Amino acid sequence: MGIGPSTKETTLHHFRDPLLDVVSNDEDIDLVGVIVVGTPQHNEDKYFVGKRTATWLEAIRVDGTIVSVDGWGNSHVDYANTIEEIGKRGIPVVGLSFVGTQANFVVSNQYMDTIVDFNKSKEGIETEVVGENNANYLDAKKALAFLKLKMRED
Amino acid sequence: MSKEEKIFRRLVIKTYHIENVCVADKTSIEGNSLIISLDKIDKIISNTAYIKDLKFEIIQPRQHDRWTNSIMDIIPISTKVLGKLGEGTTHTLTGVCVLLTGVDEIGNQVAEFGSSEGNLKEQLHLNRAGTPSDKDYIISCNVTLREGEGTNRKAILEVHKVCDVFIQEIRDQLKKIDSKSYTEKHVFYDKSRLNKKKVAIVKQVAGQGAMYDNQILPNEPSGYSGGRSIIDLGNAPVILTPNEYRDGALRAMT
Repeated sequence: MGIGPSTKETTLHHFRDPLLDVVSNDEDIDLVGVIVVGTPQHNEDKYFVGKRTATWLEAIRVDGTIVSVDGWGNSHVDYANTIEEIGKRGIPVVGLSFVGTQANFVVSNQYMDTIVDFNKSKEGIETEVVGENNANYLDAKKALAFLKLKMRED
Repeated sequence: MSKEEKIFRRLVIKTYHIENVCVADKTSIEGNSLIISLDKIDKIISNTAYIKDLKFEIIQPRQHDRWTNSIMDIIPISTKVLGKLGEGTTHTLTGVCVLLTGVDEIGNQVAEFGSSEGNLKEQLHLNRAGTPSDKDYIISCNVTLREGEGTNRKAILEVHKVCDVFIQEIRDQLKKIDSKSYTEKHVFYDKSRLNKKKVAIVKQVAGQGAMYDNQILPNEPSGYSGGRSIIDLGNAPVILTPNEYRDGALRAMT
């Protein structure tokens, strides 16, 4: 399991990503950068890249982060681990992922309490329709609003 | 410079809107028309190891009641005119994008985790950030791979490469377009908003093999050539500036 047709983000999506647009245009936010991290095959590597991501975030002293993923199933193992590594370091974290009815998290932890589900299909499933289950402006705004709340509490 | 902001660098993206796409002998952009040449396609195929056939077609807006093989990617047509990715000036075409689809010669769809072949009208959700609008032209690039090569990472990379060679011909024309004839001009700054909450975006992307791969920082926006695969980078986190990311630093190969 990995990235299906309806959740996959195309090159065009990355070129005009609503998440980047929303976060970079918010006058209250200092967007420091976009960290791209892969999804390796073996568990040992999954833990390695998750921990490195969290260490980067700690090193650049962010006040918070939004972690987005366009896969599910096995990809959620990496996702949950990365979020846990970030959360453990006391960094407020919000997630964006496809969940629906089909992609309930295979693993979870206490830091995954604010995940914005960008499922758009009626049945909550991987429909194999390209673009259908992609994050849009509303999802990005929700994620940033959650993050602002979390950063305020922090 | 304001005391609230520190500016690092500037990126200008100029859009050129296309209202007509057609095929002729020579690739060019004339006003709002994009003219593409298919003369070099045979030559492109002859230099490949895994590709049996490559077909380009122009799909008119709203004419989506037709068969499509599984959608590998949707790619904007953009090019650097000044500077490297993330700074300087980029030209991009609006109203048109490239739809990359693939199948092998015995009919296996090129996909990793579910595939999107079928009637294009039903398999493509229009008007999303990552899909064409209902008014856009689509340049369909349909690749037929040799039998069984749809799961071979080298074959998939070759598909992206040949599609990029085709797009580069258009980019080379887009570089030469009159820079004042743009439709829209957008200016973006990589900057620090001092004393505001510092936030990073983390994007978890695929990185395991064929149809589960991404390239970072190609030579051209949203391009292939010159990019580094996240797999070859050990899937380790790489930081992009916001402007690098919005200038097409990430090429999806899922």
